[in-house]
Amino acid sequence: MIQPDNSSAIITVKKLHKCYWVGSMPFPALNGVNLSIDRGEFAVLAGRSGSGKSTLLNVIGALESADNGEVIVNGENILGMNHTERTLFRLHNIGFVFQSFNLIRVLSARENIAYVCQLQGMDKKESEGIADHWLNEVDMGHLGYRRPDQLSGGQQQRVAVARALATNPKIVLADEPTANLDTQTGQRLMCLLQQLNDKFGTTFLISSHDPDVKNAARRLIKLADGQVVRKWEKIPPAPPPISKACPIKNLPLAGRIRQFLRKKRKRPSKTGEKGPTPRRS
Amino acid sequence: MIKPVIYAVALRNLLGHLRRTMLTVGAIAVGLSALIFLWSFNDGLHRNMLQNFQDAIIGSIQIHHEGFFERPELSRHLRNPDKIITTVEQAGVKRWSRRLEAFALAASDETTEGVMLIGMEADREPVITDLGKRISIGRFLREDDEYACILGATTARNLKLGLGDPVVMIGYDRFGALVAEEFTLVGIITSGEMGLDRGMALTNIKSLQEMLDMPDGVTDIVLRTPEDRIQQLTDELIFALSDENVEVMPWSTMFPVMHEWIILHDGFLYLFLAVVLFIVLAGELNTMLLSMLERTREFGIFMAIGTERYEIGLMLVFEALFIGLAGTLLGIVFGTGIVLVTHSTGIDLSILLGSTSRFYVDSLVYPHLNLDHLGTTVGAILIASIIAGLYPAWKASRLQPVEAMRNV
Ligand SMILES: Nc1ncnc2c1ncn2[C@@H]1O[C@H](COP(=O)(O)OP(=O)(O)OP(=O)(O)O)[C@@H](O)[C@H]1O
Ligand SMILES: [Mg+2]
Repeated sequence: MIQPDNSSAIITVKKLHKCYWVGSMPFPALNGVNLSIDRGEFAVLAGRSGSGKSTLLNVIGALESADNGEVIVNGENILGMNHTERTLFRLHNIGFVFQSFNLIRVLSARENIAYVCQLQGMDKKESEGIADHWLNEVDMGHLGYRRPDQLSGGQQQRVAVARALATNPKIVLADEPTANLDTQTGQRLMCLLQQLNDKFGTTFLISSHDPDVKNAARRLIKLADGQVVRKWEKIPPAPPPISKACPIKNLPLAGRIRQFLRKKRKRPSKTGEKGPTPRRS
Repeated sequence: MIKPVIYAVALRNLLGHLRRTMLTVGAIAVGLSALIFLWSFNDGLHRNMLQNFQDAIIGSIQIHHEGFFERPELSRHLRNPDKIITTVEQAGVKRWSRRLEAFALAASDETTEGVMLIGMEADREPVITDLGKRISIGRFLREDDEYACILGATTARNLKLGLGDPVVMIGYDRFGALVAEEFTLVGIITSGEMGLDRGMALTNIKSLQEMLDMPDGVTDIVLRTPEDRIQQLTDELIFALSDENVEVMPWSTMFPVMHEWIILHDGFLYLFLAVVLFIVLAGELNTMLLSMLERTREFGIFMAIGTERYEIGLMLVFEALFIGLAGTLLGIVFGTGIVLVTHSTGIDLSILLGSTSRFYVDSLVYPHLNLDHLGTTVGAILIASIIAGLYPAWKASRLQPVEAMRNV
C-alpha cells in the first residue's frame, strides 16, 4: 500500500557516502545509502550498533554534512547548504528528539517549547499558547512549569516530542528516543509518537535497536555497515482510533493485539486500508 | 534583528547559576571598589600633602626676577612689583603676597647660624600660608612690629634663644656692603618639617627693607590658587609678563622632587590597576570558559533545534556584559560608599605612622574621589570584563552541533 513514489517522497537519499577520519584512519559510516521516505510515514531505522543509524539521521536532519551523494529533504538539497542555511532549514523543517538530555536545563518545560517558537519569530504570548497546546497533546499540561531536572526521563522525552512538533515541522527525526527509558515508558512514548503521526500526518523517522520500537514501525529500514540491507514494509493493522484503543495507561502492544484479534474476527478484509492522512502542512 | 528570546535565555542562564554569577559579580565589585578606595585615598593624601606643602611656605606659584630662584641675590630683585601685582589681579588672583629674601647669619650671645631671612607682609601672608598656625611659642608677625623676628624651633634651640631675646642678623645689602640689625624674637615655629624648623627666619618686610636699604624692595611675589588652576595660570602669567624679565614658577618646578614623588605614587596605582584588571580578566575568563565547557552539550542542542551561531555568541556576550555591568555598578556603589564615609570621618594615619604629621601629611587623611581616576578605573574594568566574555562566546559559536552534543 505505501508505494514509495518520488512525487510523494519527502526524503530522498541517493548513493550517500560519509567517512569519519580519525587521524589518517578513515572510518566509513555510510557506504552508498539509497532511501526514500514518503510524507506521513512512520519509519524505523534499525541496525546494529555502529551500522550508521545516527549518522544517517544527522545527515538527513542537516546536522552534519556528507562526502558524496544526494540528500533531498522536502525538496531542498541539504548537502549544498552552508552553516546558516542548515540551521534555518532545521528550524523550519525538522523536529528532533534525541536519546537524552534533550532539554535546556535552565528553562521550564513550557519555556523549552516556547523557545523554538520564538526562534521562528513568534512573540512570547503566541509561543506560550502553542507550548500549552503541545504540552496537553503529550499529556504534560500539568507539569509545564517544571524544569527538566524536576521531570522523569519519560516526561522529559514527552516534552522533547512536544518541542519537536511545536514548530510544525515536516519531519521528526528521533535518534533512539527510548534508549534511556524503561520498557514500559518506552512503549508509551512510541505509542504517543504513533498517535501524533496519525493525528497530524507528520513524517517520523526513528532509529532504534529496541524490539518494541521495531514492532511499532509501519516500515522498517535495516542498516548494516552503512548500507540499507532490507526495507521491510509491514502491513499493519489499522492504527486503532486514538485515545480509545491506545490509552496511555494500557500496554499498547497488548491493546493492539486485542484490537487486531477482535477486528480480524469481524471484518478481516478491511484491515490496514487506512494510511496516515496529513492534516497539517 | 536579534530575537529577544536570546537575551531572555541568557538571563535565565545567569539566574540558573546564581551562585557562580554572584561570585563573579562580587569579585569584580570587590576589585573595583578596592581600586576606587585606594585611588581616592591616594588622591586625598596627595591633596593634603600639596595643600600643606604650599601652605607651609612656598605657595602655589612664585614670581621672581629672572634667575633669582637659581641664585637668590638681592641684585635680582623685582623691578616692577606693582605692575606684576596688577597683572596678577587681572588674572583673577586675590591671594598674593610680597616677600623680600636675603641670606643672613643669625647670632645670639652664644653662637651663630646661617638662615634665609624672609621679610613678609604680616597682613597678607596668612592668605597664602598657614605659618601663623605653626607658631608653637609666642605669636606671628604683626603689621606694626619693628624688627620682630620668628625662628624655627631647631634654630632657636641651637642659638639657645627664648621668647623676647635679642637676635642679631648680619647680612649683605645688594651692593655687597655688610649690614647688621638687632631683632627681637617674638615667636617660634614647630612644624616637624626640616625646611621650616631650621635655617629660616621671618620678619616684617618693612624692617628688612630698612635693614637692607631697599625701600619697597621685593624679591618674590607668592600666589595661592587651587591645584587644578596652577598650570593654566602659570602659562597665562608667563604670557602676560613676557617683557618683564621675570620667572613664573609653579611649586612643581621649584620642588620637582615632590612632583615626581606624586607621579611615582600614581604610577604605583596604575600598576595596581593593571594587576586587578588581570585578576578580573583571568577570573571572569575562567568562569565564562568553565560555564561554556559545562554547557557544550546544551549549545549543541541549541544549535540542533535552530539557534544560529551568532545567536549563541550573543547569548554569551550578553552574559559577560551583564556580569561586567552588574559587578561594575556594585563596585561603584561600594567603592564610592566607602570613600564617602571615610571622606567625612577621615582616616587616622597616626596608628600606622606613629607620630602626627610627616612629610606634609596630616595624621587624618580624607580620601578624595577624583572623577578622572574613577572614569579610568571603571572603564578599564568594564572593558576587561567584556573582553573576557568575547573569547568564550567566539569559541561557543564555532561549535559543531553533533560534536557538541557528543560532549557529556
Ligand atoms: N565522530 C566520529 N568519529 C569517528 N568515527 C565515528 C564518529 N561518529 C561515528 N563514527 C563511526 O561511524 C560509524 C557509524 O556510527 P553511528 O553513530 O552512525 O552508528 P549507530 O548505528 O548510530 O550506532 P549506535 O546504535 O551505537 O548508536 C561507526 O563505525 C562509528 O564508529
Ligand atoms: Mg546512534
